[in-house]
Amino acid sequence: MKLTERQTDALSELINIAFARTGAALSELTGHRVVLNPPEVAVYRTEELRPALAKFVPGDVASIHQVFAGPVAGDALLLLNYEGAVHLTDLLTDGHKPSNHLDESAREVLTEVGNILLNACLGMFGNLLKVHVTFSVPRLHLETLDELIGSITEGKTDLHYALVVYTAFHIRDSSVTGFLVIVLSVASLDRLIQEVDAWEAQQSR
Amino acid sequence: MNPRILIVDDSSLSRRTLRRIIESAGYEVVEADDGMTALELYFLDKPNLVLLDLVMKGMYGLDVLLKLREIDPQVRVVVASADIQSSTRQMADEGGALGFINKPFVPEQVIAAIESALAEGATSETN
Repeated sequence: MKLTERQTDALSELINIAFARTGAALSELTGHRVVLNPPEVAVYRTEELRPALAKFVPGDVASIHQVFAGPVAGDALLLLNYEGAVHLTDLLTDGHKPSNHLDESAREVLTEVGNILLNACLGMFGNLLKVHVTFSVPRLHLETLDELIGSITEGKTDLHYALVVYTAFHIRDSSVTGFLVIVLSVASLDRLIQEVDAWEAQQSR
Repeated sequence: MNPRILIVDDSSLSRRTLRRIIESAGYEVVEADDGMTALELYFLDKPNLVLLDLVMKGMYGLDVLLKLREIDPQVRVVVASADIQSSTRQMADEGGALGFINKPFVPEQVIAAIESALAEGATSETN
């Protein structure tokens, strides 16, 4: 399954709207201007996910994982390389001296940022599709990319796709690259794309 | 005595953020990190308003809302969640919540929601 240029554009714009709102609110929360780069969107089969992400996250990864359920169901993750995760929490909090590890307070901040971003994105899909999606409690995992991919593909025997959203957080003259990965069944992705097509057609009228 | 607000959220970061906002507006704060503790605290302490997260370990927030209303049909609850879905907002409305605010919290919105819920609750008590 490959998105057309128009679908990619429409999906990016929808996520951009959700991110802009989130960026503005994170700015209020932290007292620093937080800007999220316009997202770039790509769709992969789950077996293509490892090589696609390995280019960007070669070492250990920090991920915030939420399972979502309802008429559209799947796994949603905010993914950062370990150093990026440490840097992001330093920037979001007033870490006066840069740290090199994620202590309990940093993990809390990261989990909450993941929770907010994933909800902004999936909530926007729920609103668009006019379906109600429920979320699990967000969980932070620190592991290798292989372990992460293994955990999200485990037990999924039928074909699944991963919607990957690349973005960067810009805070206090620094930037940290992050990825949103949304793993969906074929049926869920089809439904999402149909609604994105309808939204795009409505916008261009 | 200043109105007392019960914050129910399993994220200590969210509780700290809300506490800072709420105390700076002159309210008193009590905290619970899950639904069961919230129900106990509400029963014993009868705070003036509950700020309630939805997705928490243990009980889901809307179930907590339902139980709170069984304990006290006049309970004033404002839902405070990262969930931006209109359907969730509607479910909270139908469950009897007097307000709904989204994370990340904007101080003015938090205080406005609290003030409005306290005022609304006061009006219904006098009617």
